[in-house]
Amino acid sequence: MNIKNKLIKILVPIVSILFSFIIGAILIASIGGDPVEAFSYLLKGAFGTTSNIGETFVKATPLIFTGLAATFAYKCGVFNLGAEGQFVMGAVASVWISTTFISIPTPLLLVVSLTSGAIAGGLWGLIPGILKIKRGLNEMIVSIMLNYIAVLFMGYLYSGPLRDGNLPQTAEVAVKLGRIFSGTRVHAGILIALVLTVILYYFLFHTSFGFKLRAVGLNPTAAEYNGFPLKKLILTSFVISGAIAGLGGSVELHGTQFRLMSGFGIGYGFDGVAIALIGQLNPIGTVLVAYLFAVLRKGAITMQVGTGMPTSVIDIIQALVIVFAVAGSALTNLPKVKQFFTNISQKSNKEVK
Amino acid sequence: MKEILRMEDITKKFGEVYANQDINLTIMEGEVHTLLGENGAGKSTLMNILIGLYQPSKGNIYLKGEKVKIDSPSKAVKLGIGMVHQHFMLVEAMTVFENIILGTSKDKSIFIKKDAIKKGIIDLANKYGLDIEIDKEITEISVGAQQRVEILKALYRGAEVLILDEPTAALTELEVEGLFQIIRKLTAEKKSVIFISHKMREVLEISDQITILRAGKTVTTLKKDDTEASELANLMIGKELVTSEYEKVIETKENIICLEHVDFNAKSKHSGISDITISVGKGEILGIAGVDGNGQSQLAQMVTGVISPDSGTVYLNSKKITKFSPHRFIEASVSHIPEDRNKMGLIGNMSVKENLALKSLETPALSMGKGLFLKKKAITNNAETMKEKYDIRCSSVEQETRNLSGGNQQKIILAREMEENPELLVAVHPTRGLDIGATKYVHDKMIDSRDKGCGVLLISADFDEILKLSDRIAVMFEGKLVGIYSGNNPPIKEISLAMSGKIE
Repeated sequence: MNIKNKLIKILVPIVSILFSFIIGAILIASIGGDPVEAFSYLLKGAFGTTSNIGETFVKATPLIFTGLAATFAYKCGVFNLGAEGQFVMGAVASVWISTTFISIPTPLLLVVSLTSGAIAGGLWGLIPGILKIKRGLNEMIVSIMLNYIAVLFMGYLYSGPLRDGNLPQTAEVAVKLGRIFSGTRVHAGILIALVLTVILYYFLFHTSFGFKLRAVGLNPTAAEYNGFPLKKLILTSFVISGAIAGLGGSVELHGTQFRLMSGFGIGYGFDGVAIALIGQLNPIGTVLVAYLFAVLRKGAITMQVGTGMPTSVIDIIQALVIVFAVAGSALTNLPKVKQFFTNISQKSNKEVK
Repeated sequence: MKEILRMEDITKKFGEVYANQDINLTIMEGEVHTLLGENGAGKSTLMNILIGLYQPSKGNIYLKGEKVKIDSPSKAVKLGIGMVHQHFMLVEAMTVFENIILGTSKDKSIFIKKDAIKKGIIDLANKYGLDIEIDKEITEISVGAQQRVEILKALYRGAEVLILDEPTAALTELEVEGLFQIIRKLTAEKKSVIFISHKMREVLEISDQITILRAGKTVTTLKKDDTEASELANLMIGKELVTSEYEKVIETKENIICLEHVDFNAKSKHSGISDITISVGKGEILGIAGVDGNGQSQLAQMVTGVISPDSGTVYLNSKKITKFSPHRFIEASVSHIPEDRNKMGLIGNMSVKENLALKSLETPALSMGKGLFLKKKAITNNAETMKEKYDIRCSSVEQETRNLSGGNQQKIILAREMEENPELLVAVHPTRGLDIGATKYVHDKMIDSRDKGCGVLLISADFDEILKLSDRIAVMFEGKLVGIYSGNNPPIKEISLAMSGKIE
């Protein structure tokens, strides 16, 4: 049983990625390109030089945060589509803290700034959570709406009160996350992301609180009948999910961008949702898929420069991965397909014996 | 009598499992033929083959001597085979009339000739004594009336063979009598009825012939007059069954729970309770009799803390309850076997061991630091112990509970709810959908709990179960308590009348 489920969970994303690349290749060929050449540029772009490899980690970092944020909320059965807004609010809080309280010594200021980023994200996540449990509002709609508010608020700040100079952007933060590999832009944020992943994994699968969250996600009625505080758990999962995204925004600010400007954080929220789904709502799966997305993004630019293939080809491949992963999960729920996997796992069981 | 339908050597395999294996069934014209068997004996599979939902892996079906291939439900309808499912297939927002004509077109006109069709339906209903209100919406009519609509629907489609799947499950005693009269009229008109049930009393009353299935095979076919209840039960489970008579407790000690003038959503007759004053003593079983949907669900939710009363007081262990939440009731040692085990009792996508640990996650036995670190090994060991003790049949404790049979799912809930020796056990339809063996097991466990001093509130739509177990019997009708009777030699007739609201 368990072998079967694990097999499905690992196979679905791998097969989805494979299929997406095959279709991507057909697509490239059909617009007059050479798929082999295009993909080799893609790989070169992602892994060709140390600096390029480093860049994939830089790009993966924010995606890991928003992916984890989505995973965490999904596990409790609520849909946080507001990671983008929480990400932005986290960065906004951090910019304000670290450009205002410059008298605090640097390492401490960094900690304070990251913490307040997480708190700001958590508060931004609290809003849809409260509206859901108190008023029964759909958390998806509310969290999406809050994305717009957050992004526009950020826009007001960098073009108004926090503007630095003539350009619509804030001042650069003085405190930065340290680089951890020379010759690359890889910063300590990736370590924070990985540590967070381990913590979340432990929390979800080794504590009673995580157990309860998952129980609520799988069957809220039974969870309630068994004495679990449904509303409290839903609210908590929203706040934690928001805090993860907020911390992500703060890390992105201190590690990569250093200032807020137009386009900061755009798209990370929805990418996070896709990453969580393809990663089968497992924190570790989420990290792997986030890295894959980062590789695709980094490689896409090199591919465009090298072959003239538009980067949108890669966007299409990325979208196809999502489609295949969702379709694959649905497919594996069909009785016939399930039977097939049961047969396989039974066979492998016998072989083991 | 002529043969109308014959199923010959029917075999149906799902993967490697035989759901049906070489089953033979012969139905005569104008007879009531009962299919008797435990859950998983293959009754549903066989009937699904007959109405064209499944194709047999092997075997043939003959209708009036001619071989037929039933490859879709609409083909079955065309051949004159109709089925009334246990859970009715009616469109609730439509009227009786609309439900009956749904999907039929007897002429080519694009308009529905309402009056003519309606007259035809009413004539048909009168012929078989089916009392219906043709223009009412389904939601407005009782469960018994809905069943009559289902029967009429099948007859209107020209059914010659009518399959009734557990038709008495949701009916009162009086309604059952009415149904039997209808069945007798049907057979008098040379229609054949396949009756699926496991209530011996009814089976022996209505059947002409009885075919017993066990583990996907035909055990035998018997004439009603040649058999009796105990023989049928033994054939059905394949071994001698010792039926237990339970002793009734007459004197009770102090109350464990006490409700005084409790109201909840009192205006609703079917989903509220109104002015209920009732108590359960330590070491007694109080049975709540009544037809489903007369406020029993709300009563159960109230005494487990899921809902709070609009007015009135609830005392648990002589303490007045001010805040209602399942958590508080669980802490006060109230256990709950909920009415819908899949929806309320178990988390289907979680494993057997996780479901068993659900209520004791934060105990020192299963975790360190009040849940900060779950002892996976202890959880597994705990599950293994329970698996043995409560005879839970699963391939491993890692198996997801949704893949288990109803009986085994119920055993998981029993294990979880009874292991801690609760002070109050609220059991709602505890044996619904369970076979004889599992039912006996659940009953024994409930009596055990009672004898250990646990108060038991038993809510069941199965009147026989109430009579068998209860030390006192209370009857609910339209959200009100209409009578309390002793469980020792209970006045059955009087209670039945009370259940249908006919009481002074």
